[in-house]
Amino acid sequence: MMLLNMLFTFFKIGLFSFGGGYAILAMIQQEVVIKNAWLTEAEFVQVVAISQMTPGPIAINAATFIGYQKAGVIGSLLCTLGVILPSLMIMLLITVSYLKLKKLPWFQQIFKRLRLLSVGLIAAALIMIMGNAVKDWYSVGIFAASFLLTWRFKLNPFTMLIAAAIFGMLFGSV
Amino acid sequence: MLLKIFLTFLKIGAFTIGGAYAMIPLIKREVCSRQGWITEEEFLDGLAAAQSCPGPIAVNISIYTGYHVRGKAGMFAAVLGTILPSTISIILIAILFRQYADQALVKRAFTALNPAVVALIAVPLIQMAKKSGLNLKNAWFPLAIALCVGLLNISPVYLILVTIAYAVFEARK
Repeated sequence: MMLLNMLFTFFKIGLFSFGGGYAILAMIQQEVVIKNAWLTEAEFVQVVAISQMTPGPIAINAATFIGYQKAGVIGSLLCTLGVILPSLMIMLLITVSYLKLKKLPWFQQIFKRLRLLSVGLIAAALIMIMGNAVKDWYSVGIFAASFLLTWRFKLNPFTMLIAAAIFGMLFGSV
Repeated sequence: MLLKIFLTFLKIGAFTIGGAYAMIPLIKREVCSRQGWITEEEFLDGLAAAQSCPGPIAVNISIYTGYHVRGKAGMFAAVLGTILPSTISIILIAILFRQYADQALVKRAFTALNPAVVALIAVPLIQMAKKSGLNLKNAWFPLAIALCVGLLNISPVYLILVTIAYAVFEARK
């Protein structure tokens, strides 16, 4: 039952996330943390960190990791399958007919609106995890430094996270 | 040919860290310039399609390219190649993480990793906001969505369905 529920939940996540990895993370937070309480907010932040440091699509990494934590290898395969199934069905349709679809006004309008919606969705996810991860001067400082380094100085996310991990090992206190 | 599609996407999946936006330039180089499977224009159309479709963008663009080269079999080969490195490396990391999560060193690393991760979501959010054509006139819409989801706990699923219906209505006017 749990396994079926995981497959269905990740299918829903894949079906309702528009705009790639970060929109998917926002949906995962909604479904996995808030609705099903399979992970705490703090564990979710760990999942995001590990997903960004591992090769491959962030959404696939997050789905596999959560699946493994909840139900081992079978769980990780089911969550991954769930999140890519909607892609396999819908993207196949779009691939076959994209040249016709892109000329239709309603098709364009839907995605113009959904792109804006994803911005709002990710902003909500950001505010929710910010309350959990940025709470004292130490974490505010690290947030500000990482933000500046990736935004202004274009440091790549992987290097940024490795640097943060080393900094935490040296100066963090538990 | 199928094996070649699989191996090409396997390589892309294994050597890009940081999600779709890191993968796109590499996919483009492999499938357009090096293998010559599709033209640059076809790729850009595919990329636009991949961003319109729900789900992971990297998976969507693999479906598009795989299908163009060898139909449905090509599509499955490309998708499998893209996700296999992820699945294997994450399972290994998850096994290690379970053993070492309680070590003081790992906990200390996460005291800095957690706020850094928040920054790594904030930066692409700004970039996405720019790309989505956000301006003063339409900013109410993402703001309303953020409030509905963050404060009122309304499921994004309903908001998406309403948005799709509204967009179709707008386009018909």
